[in-house]
Amino acid sequence: MTTGRLASLRELRRIDWRHVAILYRREMRAAFREKTIVLNSVVIPIVLYPFLLWSVFTGMLFVTGQTEKFVSRVVLIDFPEGHPALRRALERHEKLRLAPASGPKAWLEAQLQLGSLDAVLEFAPPEQAGAGLNANFAARILYNQSRERSVAASKRLSEILEAYREEWLLREARKRGVGAEHWLVFDLAAQNVASGKEMGAFLLGLLLPIIFVVMVAIGCFYPAVDAVAGERERGTWETLVSTAANRRSIVAAKYFSVASLGGLAGLLNVVAVLVTVKPIFGPILEEAGKTVEFALPLGAVPVLVLAAVLLAGFVAAGMMIFASFARTFKEGQAMITPFYLLIMLPVIFLQVPGLSLTPALALVPVVNITLMVREAISGTLQWPFIGLTTAASLLAVGACVRLAAFILQFEDILTGSYSGSLWKFSRERLLRRAACHPPVP
Amino acid sequence: MPSACSLIPPVNPTVIVRDLTKVFYDDSRGELRAVDGINFDCRPGEIFGLLGANGAGKTTTLRMLATILKPTAGRATVMGHDLATAPEAVRRSLGFSSATTALYPRLTARETLDFFARINGCPAERVSARVEELIDRFGIGAYADVRVDRLSQGMKQKVAIARTVAHDPPVLIFDEPTVGLDVLNALDMQKLIAAFRDEGKTILFSTHIMSEAQKLCDRIAIIHQGRIHACDTLASLRAATGLYYLEDIFVHYVEQSRSQAGESPASTSCA
Repeated sequence: MTTGRLASLRELRRIDWRHVAILYRREMRAAFREKTIVLNSVVIPIVLYPFLLWSVFTGMLFVTGQTEKFVSRVVLIDFPEGHPALRRALERHEKLRLAPASGPKAWLEAQLQLGSLDAVLEFAPPEQAGAGLNANFAARILYNQSRERSVAASKRLSEILEAYREEWLLREARKRGVGAEHWLVFDLAAQNVASGKEMGAFLLGLLLPIIFVVMVAIGCFYPAVDAVAGERERGTWETLVSTAANRRSIVAAKYFSVASLGGLAGLLNVVAVLVTVKPIFGPILEEAGKTVEFALPLGAVPVLVLAAVLLAGFVAAGMMIFASFARTFKEGQAMITPFYLLIMLPVIFLQVPGLSLTPALALVPVVNITLMVREAISGTLQWPFIGLTTAASLLAVGACVRLAAFILQFEDILTGSYSGSLWKFSRERLLRRAACHPPVP
Repeated sequence: MPSACSLIPPVNPTVIVRDLTKVFYDDSRGELRAVDGINFDCRPGEIFGLLGANGAGKTTTLRMLATILKPTAGRATVMGHDLATAPEAVRRSLGFSSATTALYPRLTARETLDFFARINGCPAERVSARVEELIDRFGIGAYADVRVDRLSQGMKQKVAIARTVAHDPPVLIFDEPTVGLDVLNALDMQKLIAAFRDEGKTILFSTHIMSEAQKLCDRIAIIHQGRIHACDTLASLRAATGLYYLEDIFVHYVEQSRSQAGESPASTSCA
């Protein structure tokens, strides 16, 4: 056994687990009586994402509904003679109101920009290819893409023109004795062969890992600040370090409580999303004619629990390292925020199409866990990679805990008299290995 | 060198301090000797007062004894346990209270006492009885189940003292215990400290309030710029200086130390 491993075992033995249990109970009891922590670690994970999803989709439906209700104000320019059927179709469309062209084209374009007009349908002589056809024309729709109403008007005009063109083509073909079977060459149709269950797993795989990381981070954030900076600000840090519990036991209990709250937030969030995703997405997808089944594969449950433990363990350790330097709650929040943003970065990786858990990615903290969760939700359980992810995450947690133990061996940091951040500490004591005199408290 | 320490009954000291030194480092000021080779002993049933101005080294001394800070040099024992080698045993043997040792606001008074009794080594089967005993003794029954953040300053003070003695330690350290208290609460605090002494506990007590030191302390150590300049009973200090009021005695020693500042510094032993 190496000296390093022996040292780690010695350190573990120096932790008084009875003290850790007493301290952990106190930490958790106090945490559940703190409104901010309950809000961030329990209420938000349960409510936030279901509410966000519901409000986003309800909002989208509302906007779509509102757009559908609008009557589009349209001006026709140079409408060609010999197409009364097209004029009738435009005039009879219940969502179109044809207005006279009461100004030059430039003025009409200005009206489009102002939003007092939704579209202009401009007719012109046909291009060379279509010039041979009697009464043929070219049409151009002017609209403003930055306005929802204008986009809807353009769409409506396009649909009418497309239908008219189709009808005209058939008529002309019939006149020339050509049946549709001679010129209609092929149909193109796409069919989704994914089952409802697979579609549900795909959607959950897109959604859950991202919000899982966010929630674990939010769940750890306030407890980590409260466990260190909060104690100092309230003046209870000195009370705590003057008890018979040794420093390692105190840090261990705090670490476990922060990790517990982070893991709890992550799991509560997953459960809340799973419970609410069907009532939220179901009606929308059914309306679109799709059947989607949102069910978590049984094998994914232990993987999710493992992911919650590993992610919370890593995030809690990282956040506590940053929070070690804070003397007030405000300082703690400011110091943890860069780490918080850093662990959000891997979420971007999840957007890369076709990205899956590989041996190399299994070694990257947070990325490995999010990919592991995504694959487990979609029913793919690659046990060797899950093992590798677990080992890599435990190593990362171990490194963070070792760093935390190293930092907290400095008396001025432990007592909160050190003035500086992790960066300053790294420059002064980690990189330069400078003399470590405790500063004046 | 004071000889008056011989007036103290020859019982084994519970606290022994030898050449205790604490050096801090500050970027702008360089090395600062907050405590500079001090010596003293304390015995059971004694209130030992550290009297000094702000920044004299009182709090640093007491924090070292409570093992919150590590000494730079020297050694000290509490109930025979060495600060450097057995800090947990030292902390189990003492109760530490200062203006900066606040209570957990989100625990009730009862939960606070329960927590401190357990964490400081009170046997699990005795904790409940001990908590009830403390609630009775300190008269906190009416608000024992109220969260600390909802208590008045006076109530909090009682809970703070109760939590300091929750595990019934033989040595108690009070760092400026009456700072921020009104007259009545300060008097209550002084009575409690005297009562602990009468129970045979060793009390280490720091203050900058002369009347308080005069009233409570069996022996007084005058500390200035990290050194103890005099250490004896009030009567002996009066005899040694020819001055009556403790304030005058304190000023006498501080001025003496200032005049000696150019000479080789020497700390007074109170062992």
